[in-house]
Amino acid sequence: MKTLSKMKQGEEGVVTSVNGDVRYMSRITSIGITPGCRVRIIKNDKNRPIIVYTRDTMIALNEKECSNIEVQEGSYND
Amino acid sequence: MTDKNETVIALLSQPNSGKSTLFNALTGLKQHVGNWPGKTVEQKEGKFEYNGRQYVVADLPGTYSLSANSDEEMITRDYIASGKADVVCILADSSQLERSLYMLADFAGIEVPCFLVLNMSDVAKEQGKSIKVDAIRQRLGIPVVLFSATDKKDYSPFYDALTEALDKKTVLNSDGLEAKLQQIPEYISIREIIEGVNDEHRSSMWLAVKSVEGDAPVIAKVKAKLDSSKRNTYEQAVKGIEKGVVKTGECKFSWIDEVIEGSVVSKSKKVEMGRFDRLITHKFWGKAVVVVTILLGLIASFIPALPFMGIGSAIGMIPAPLNDYLISIGCPGFIAAILCDVLITCFSFVIQMLGFVFGVTLVFGLLEEIGVMARISYVFDNTMAKLGLQGKSVMPFLISFGCTMGGAAGTRVIDNWGQKVLTIALAWAIPCGAAWAVVPMLSTLFFGPGAAAIIAVILVVMILHMWLTAKIFGRSLVKPSDRYGMIMELPPYHKPKWGSLFRYVLGRTKETFIRSFRVVLIVALVFWLLSYTSSGDATSSILFKVGQAIEPVTMLFGMKWQTFTAFIASSLGKEGALGVLSTIYSGVGTITVSSMQGAEVAANLNDLLIANISKPEALAFIFAITFNMPCIVALAATYQETHSAKWTAIIAGYYTATALVLAGIAYHIGLLIW
Repeated sequence: MKTLSKMKQGEEGVVTSVNGDVRYMSRITSIGITPGCRVRIIKNDKNRPIIVYTRDTMIALNEKECSNIEVQEGSYND
Repeated sequence: MTDKNETVIALLSQPNSGKSTLFNALTGLKQHVGNWPGKTVEQKEGKFEYNGRQYVVADLPGTYSLSANSDEEMITRDYIASGKADVVCILADSSQLERSLYMLADFAGIEVPCFLVLNMSDVAKEQGKSIKVDAIRQRLGIPVVLFSATDKKDYSPFYDALTEALDKKTVLNSDGLEAKLQQIPEYISIREIIEGVNDEHRSSMWLAVKSVEGDAPVIAKVKAKLDSSKRNTYEQAVKGIEKGVVKTGECKFSWIDEVIEGSVVSKSKKVEMGRFDRLITHKFWGKAVVVVTILLGLIASFIPALPFMGIGSAIGMIPAPLNDYLISIGCPGFIAAILCDVLITCFSFVIQMLGFVFGVTLVFGLLEEIGVMARISYVFDNTMAKLGLQGKSVMPFLISFGCTMGGAAGTRVIDNWGQKVLTIALAWAIPCGAAWAVVPMLSTLFFGPGAAAIIAVILVVMILHMWLTAKIFGRSLVKPSDRYGMIMELPPYHKPKWGSLFRYVLGRTKETFIRSFRVVLIVALVFWLLSYTSSGDATSSILFKVGQAIEPVTMLFGMKWQTFTAFIASSLGKEGALGVLSTIYSGVGTITVSSMQGAEVAANLNDLLIANISKPEALAFIFAITFNMPCIVALAATYQETHSAKWTAIIAGYYTATALVLAGIAYHIGLLIW
């Protein structure tokens, strides 16, 4: 288990929890990141937002706020 | 229904679902942009006729949900729940169906007639996804149509769904969602307490969901509607719910999965970044690629701008011969002068500037539409966040080196009002093309090789100015509590929809023309009246008398009445600063005309300037015009983009004041040197 912000390019996993204030949780939920959804890191460069692929969408997320999102790593093939 | 018996359709969707394309295709040029009452959020409305029926389309702000996080979301949900719309058209992106149906799930429980459009079917098909709508339709109980808003030829499925929703008043079946929500204990208890309570068209289910999510406006509303006996239990029930919005979010997505189950077949393929994406988001090269992209866009903007500029300057030729002709047929000089010096000159000026707005709106609208703007935002997010802005703000800044009005028009793509206004406020500090045409020339005239140093100082001052302005205005425009990190979709690249884009750009250009022509005309008229003399002797104008009277004050800023007048005139347009000085020192021409036309200057202007202006005064003047308000058209564009007369006035006043302060500092430093 680690936070999204610590994941490296190409790593995959399933979101286990989303934390933060109500507003953050509301925004992140409405763009499609909820516990149980699969994520893959497309890009995680220093001092840049993290680009995540989830629910058929590429999403750029603030690096610091990504420590609010916990992920169970694992690779999936479907 | 409106009072004119028109049927009202509201368009609801998340951003990037092709809503504007649909809106433009339905309404064509019959659009009107205003403000939501009391808000700074843009309200777009359009009209069309189908089968003898008149329709009004309300294009609601694109938001990710119907919560209470922003004005846009509040406006959207209040409008829908009010029942002002006869039918709500909910759009989702077929290529990201699961994610983009979140809006439908958040809408579920608002009991108004609606239908669902699965837009961008062409993109989904390209990605190897096939969608069957029949099952979805059955589960939702509303018309569902799979189509592509870009395909102008085949809108009949859309019209059929619309007609059916209106005729049968189809309301979304949310039983499936309710069943999912029953897994949340807090939901069950709140739902029980508020059973039977509703607000306009918001059902108790919807109100219960929002209560679980900790939605303050909804909670206040529900409290007011409950009996005092239940109010306490309700207050207790909504208190201390942990992560309510995450819990309901899970339910919503699991309902969506159920709704589309078996209806979406996709060939699984691993999506990776394309070559251009890898380049533009590159750790080291990304910023350079963005800057080059924007600069190329800026150059490209001049291509559609050229015809306007040609027409504009051709119109600018009319006044001189027309004036002579009018005088020769006995027209009073005053009227001829108003007609020629004010009306036609302003018209010519605005048309020329408009070309650039047209070009910028087209080119950068295109970059937004094909998806490049989102990448730009990503690359510059960290840098711009330091100013309280989003990454996209870098684009208006770069455009402003060419034209501030274009920069202001470019802020269209910034979705947060406060950040949009702040971006414009900072963009004003960037010397525009007109300043670059005048300032180096003046600097060289007075300071020879020292001009390079002056330009370097101007650039440093510009950066400090922007930083300071961000501090001063940022506090109230982008409150620290509103400064979030980026959460943004990077949409796949789309092919541009030229028809829709052109309609949009033409509409914008027309509106900008009407607004700026009005502002320019009024300001120019006032200025012209102040500088008017029947004798042609500048010293008998009001401007001269006032200028001379306040000279002791303006000399604090290093400006005699002549340079101060030229400074004031440079608020109309900087390209004219030299023309105005020429008019004043040589006594030939009209100040209003010179300020906007960049009119030809007296042949011996250089000698006149050097003879009349000392070096410290010249330095003061250079800083004064460089950092003065860019021009009246930029002022008008600022008003149009911000929708706020108050903020436009604040920004204009601030720039006039800071330009004077900078001039004063430059003057006094100059006095020490020379």
